[in-house]
Formats: sequence, C-alpha cells, structure tokens
Amino acid sequence: MNSPSNHIAKRQFARMLAEAAGLLRRPARAFPLAAKIASDLLRLSTEQRHLYSYAKTTRASHETLNLLLRWILDAQRPDGGIAAYYSLLCGYSESYPEVTGYIVPTLYDFAHASGDGTAIAAAKRATTWLRSLQMPSGAFPGGLHRVDTPPSVFNTGQILHGLVRAYSETKQIEILQSAMLAGEWLTQQQDSNGSWSGAGAYQGKDHTYYSMVAWALAELSKSSGDDRIGIAAERNINWVLSHSRANGWIDGINLQGHPDYLHFIAYVLQGVLECAILRHRSDAIAAVAKSAWVLLRKFETNKFLCSAYGADFKHGQRFACLTGNAQMSCVWLRLFEITNDLRYLNAALKMNESLKQLISARGSRGIIGGVSGSYPVWGRYQPLRYISWGCKFLADALLAEERLMRSLEAREVEALPCAS
Amino acid sequence: MRVVVLASSLYSETACAMCARLAQAGYVPAAALALGSFNRPTLLRKVKQWGLGGATDYAWAKLIRGESRAHIKNPYFERLLGNGDDVFRSMRDVARAYRFPVATCSDQNSQNSLARLKQWSPDLIIFTGGNILRRPLLDIPRLGVINAHLGLLPEMRGMSSPEWSLLNNLPLGVAVHYIDDGIDTGPVLQQFELPDAAGSESLSELRDRLIAFGVEKMADVVAALDRGTVSACPQPECNKDNQSFVMHERLQALAAQRLRKARVASVPGVVHG
Repeated sequence: MNSPSNHIAKRQFARMLAEAAGLLRRPARAFPLAAKIASDLLRLSTEQRHLYSYAKTTRASHETLNLLLRWILDAQRPDGGIAAYYSLLCGYSESYPEVTGYIVPTLYDFAHASGDGTAIAAAKRATTWLRSLQMPSGAFPGGLHRVDTPPSVFNTGQILHGLVRAYSETKQIEILQSAMLAGEWLTQQQDSNGSWSGAGAYQGKDHTYYSMVAWALAELSKSSGDDRIGIAAERNINWVLSHSRANGWIDGINLQGHPDYLHFIAYVLQGVLECAILRHRSDAIAAVAKSAWVLLRKFETNKFLCSAYGADFKHGQRFACLTGNAQMSCVWLRLFEITNDLRYLNAALKMNESLKQLISARGSRGIIGGVSGSYPVWGRYQPLRYISWGCKFLADALLAEERLMRSLEAREVEALPCAS
Repeated sequence: MRVVVLASSLYSETACAMCARLAQAGYVPAAALALGSFNRPTLLRKVKQWGLGGATDYAWAKLIRGESRAHIKNPYFERLLGNGDDVFRSMRDVARAYRFPVATCSDQNSQNSLARLKQWSPDLIIFTGGNILRRPLLDIPRLGVINAHLGLLPEMRGMSSPEWSLLNNLPLGVAVHYIDDGIDTGPVLQQFELPDAAGSESLSELRDRLIAFGVEKMADVVAALDRGTVSACPQPECNKDNQSFVMHERLQALAAQRLRKARVASVPGVVHG
C-alpha cells in the first residue's frame, strides 16, 4: 500500500539519509555531535523534576538573549535569508523564507531592548530578500529557498508578520505595498468558512494553526486601517474556535504523517490569542486561557511538557519540543499581561529557566546559542538540529520576560511606602 | 477519639510538634506513620523525582542529620519540642515520651501502609506531609483525613500559599480542611487569619509562624470535632483546578518586598512619604 502517510515517512527517511551523508563529507562533525548527545544524556540522568522545585540556571536572560541573537546572525545567509537549521550532521540549510519573515519582529525587538544596531541591519537585509521573493500575485513561496516553489498560505502569513513590522519601523511605503499585496492574496484564498484549504494550504487541507495567518492579517489591518482584512482574520479565528472542546483542547491541526507537536498546538493558541487581543475578542482570549491553563498545570506538575499530545491533551511523547515550550512561555507571558494573573508569569519564568540551561555558550558556529529541535537532541522533532524558529521563540519569550519583570519590579518599588 | 498522624519523615519538625501538641491537648496519637528517610525505595523515589544530583544531596543531608538536628529549625516550635534539657529530635522521641507506636513506610498509599492504618482503626487521620493521598487511604478513618493548609480557602489553593497571598493582597492564615481527591479542595472545617501577619521579618519567618499557627489550630479543631461543635463547609464546585504552584525566586523576592512594605506600614509612628 502506498498511503499518503507511507509516502511522508519515506520522504522523511530519504531526508535523514541525505543529512547523514553530510557527516561522511565532513567527519569532524562527529565530535560536536557526540558531545551534544553525551551532554543531553548526562543532563537527563541528573535533572530534577520535583513538584516542589524547578530547573534553575545562573545565566541571566540578557546573556542568553545575546547568545540567541548571535546564532540568528550567524545563520543569516549571504542572500539575506535566515537558514532553517544547523544540522549536527550536515551544517546549515538554505535560507528559509517563512522563518526569515517572522524573525524580523524579533530582530527589531532585540535591537530596541539592547540598542544593538546589527540586529536592525539584519532585519533590513532580511526584508529586502523577502520582497525579492514575492510573486506577482502577492504570495510567497513555501519551503526552503529553491526555484519554482509553489505559493504557500502559511508562509505568506508568517512573512506578513515581518513585513508589517518592517513597515512600522521604517515607514517605507513599498514595504506596506508588499504587505497589502500579500494580505489581499490571503483574503482571496480564504474559504467561505474562514479556513484556508486547497492548493496553497499544506497538504491541501485546512489547519487550525493557520490562526498565525489570522494574527498577521489582524496586524496588517491595524497597521493599514483596512478593516476588511481584520474581518477576514476574525472569520478564521471563529472557524478555529469552532474546533474547541469543553476541556480546552482545540482540534484541527490536521497534519498527516506528524503527531500534534506542541509547536503546532502553541501556534494555534498564539495565533488566536494575538488576533483576539488586536480584535478585542474576549471570548477567544477565554478559550486560549482555558487551553493554556491545562498545559500550565501539566508543566507545573511534571516540570515538563511533552513534545506532542493526542486529542484531549493525552498520550504525550516523552521528549521535549523546545520551540513549543518557548511558544507556551510566550502565551503565558501574554496572558499575564492581559489578565494580571501572576501564575502565568510564574510558569513562564520557570519554563524560561529550563530552556536557558540548554543553550550552549561554547562550541562552533551553529551550535553556540542554538536551540535544538528536541530535548534530548535525538528526539523525533527536528532531530540533531538547531532550528532558527526555536531561537526566535525563545528570544521572544526572554524579551517579554525582561520587559514584564522590569515593569512589575518598578511598580513594586513605586508602591513602597518609603519610596519618594 | 483515635487520631493517627501521617508524616513526611521521622525527622519532620512539624509532625513532631503536631504529635506533642495533640498529646498536650489530651489527644495522644493512637499511632504515627512516617515515610522512611534513608531506605532503598525512598532513595529510588528521590532519584526519580529529583535526578541523581538531588538524590545525592538528600542522602548527604540525611547522613549528617545527627549534627543538623541538634537545634530546632522553626523557633516557634521551641516550646512544643522542648523535652526537659533536651529536644524531641524525631517522631520516635515524641512517641517514647507519650507512648504511641510509630511505623515507617516507603509509600503512604501502599498496601502495607493501608493494612497498618486499618489495624490502627483511626477515627481521624492528620496529614502533616508525605505522599499525595489516594482514595483507599482517604476512606479508612471514620471522620476523614484533615490537613492544615497555609492559606485561606478557596482563594489560595496549592503551593507557596503565603507568598501567593502576599502578592495577591489576600489575608494570611491557615485553613483546616478535609483532604479529598483534589488539591486543597476538600470541605473546610475552620480557617484562621494569622494575627499580626505583618510582624514577620522575612518570608521564612512568616512560613515558620504559619506552620506553628497551623499546629495550634489543628489541635483546637480536633477538640472541636471530638465535642461535635464544628462542621465542615464544602468549597464551591467550580474552579477546582484553580491552584497555585511553587513560586519562582524572582516573584518570591517581590513577595518579600511586599512583606517588608506591610511591616513598615504597620510600625506606629512611621511617616510614609
């Protein structure tokens, strides 16, 4: 039988073989590979997972942020795009338009927080490269950068995040025009029920994690003042919310050949939450809070989130998807920001500690400051790779943590009775 | 009334103080069951929970316990744990003084523990620490299993309750409640606000005070239960998973700041700018 899932498994296996061949071309890569595997093995055998304790690291968040930014800048290819990953077997991948797009806001946020101009320069190069990839229809190509890749709804949405931010930072009208063209294409591709399916959708099917596209549209609507686009964004989150279950689980990730990785679960939540904030939708915020609370309880109780969950948050896999963890930290921090419930902040602080301790401050380019796909590194999600979107989301989480803690601590000092 | 005490360890100061306080109030425990502190199953459990490093720390702390137990860690227990010129260093010392049996186990929910508890046929079990209790154990005592929780219910369920109470501007106190299948969700017998809560110098002193306050109030509630003058009030059914978890040290620092703020505000004659 040659079922679609068999086909996907074969493709994944072929990709793994091709990557492994990279090790034969440069055998010296075996040393960092062995070192990383040994370090994860050692950490697994000594780490604490106790209800009354949590992982701690002495490394400050701003130091980790510098390491993450260094990884991202090292991963910027000569064309201006950011590589998808650094493989311990075969090195850097080609530029990845999708991540290059949504890493742009992170670069600007980092630059504003640290005063580091190199991040702004990197964001500008990335934006220029992205605009060179835009198709006449307004769409952007899917997958890694190659010729003749078909247009992709999700990648166009993710790149739109970068374009909207680049416009708000630079006020260059041509960037807004690119963003509007992409937004128009996305609204044209949208089904009447608010989802995206068909040729531009991954595997030709609708997916609830496309709420990230809705978020990008809501941002574009705010930035351009065009409410039609905002209404399209809301149509999508209405469709996503129609997949909510009473216990907080949101169905419909709908990926054939992959489990529901935390990365995608968190995408659903992030997309709906940010779109809901922009569109003032308290019902959607409540739905996200319900789901995020279930994951918070799991994390706080087990000190661990599984890499993937089945429907109803059950049957998790016993390795961590670090990107999903960082995204959940972002969701909790945002929920704290809008609800003032300190338990979200508390969970995010602990999650960030657990992620910071996994970032290497030593090693070669591609390893230093990298976020591995899985922990341990041989887990099934992006095995033996440091991935750019992992760096992006952890940087986002640490930037938000720093910002919110600074404001909370300042409020506390102001409120002291003896403070002048 | 036959009261049995559950303890997290033979060397738990809270459990020792609880047994001593109950005995002084006329309720000498029928028995006590403590988790073993240095046996193979406990160490294996600690390795699973804390990893190799944490378990090594634990074993080290226990190996040098003779030295570390020479003084009482919680100063608010000095009166209860004083024993002539000496102090009660373990449950065995208290049991010897008040003549009740003490047993150890590796899991309070195990079949052996359940059999032993049934043998003691308690009217009431007092929980001072140990495992998360499962239904078969909860069903053994005639009246139920009770706990002194360091926060007022239903608002402040879960861990780090004093610190969360400070950060959320909630009153500090102790709730004596029945344990059920949830986290601090059982019916509340009585709750008590801590008098002069702002008088604490630090978070650890506040915790010490609350723990000692809980031991005192637990004895009062046991007496009231025996007299039949107290009845339990169920907690609202909704939001039963609404609990707090162990607090991160950066938030603890803010809670400590709140406590200092409350102290400054409560000192007479201090003018606030």
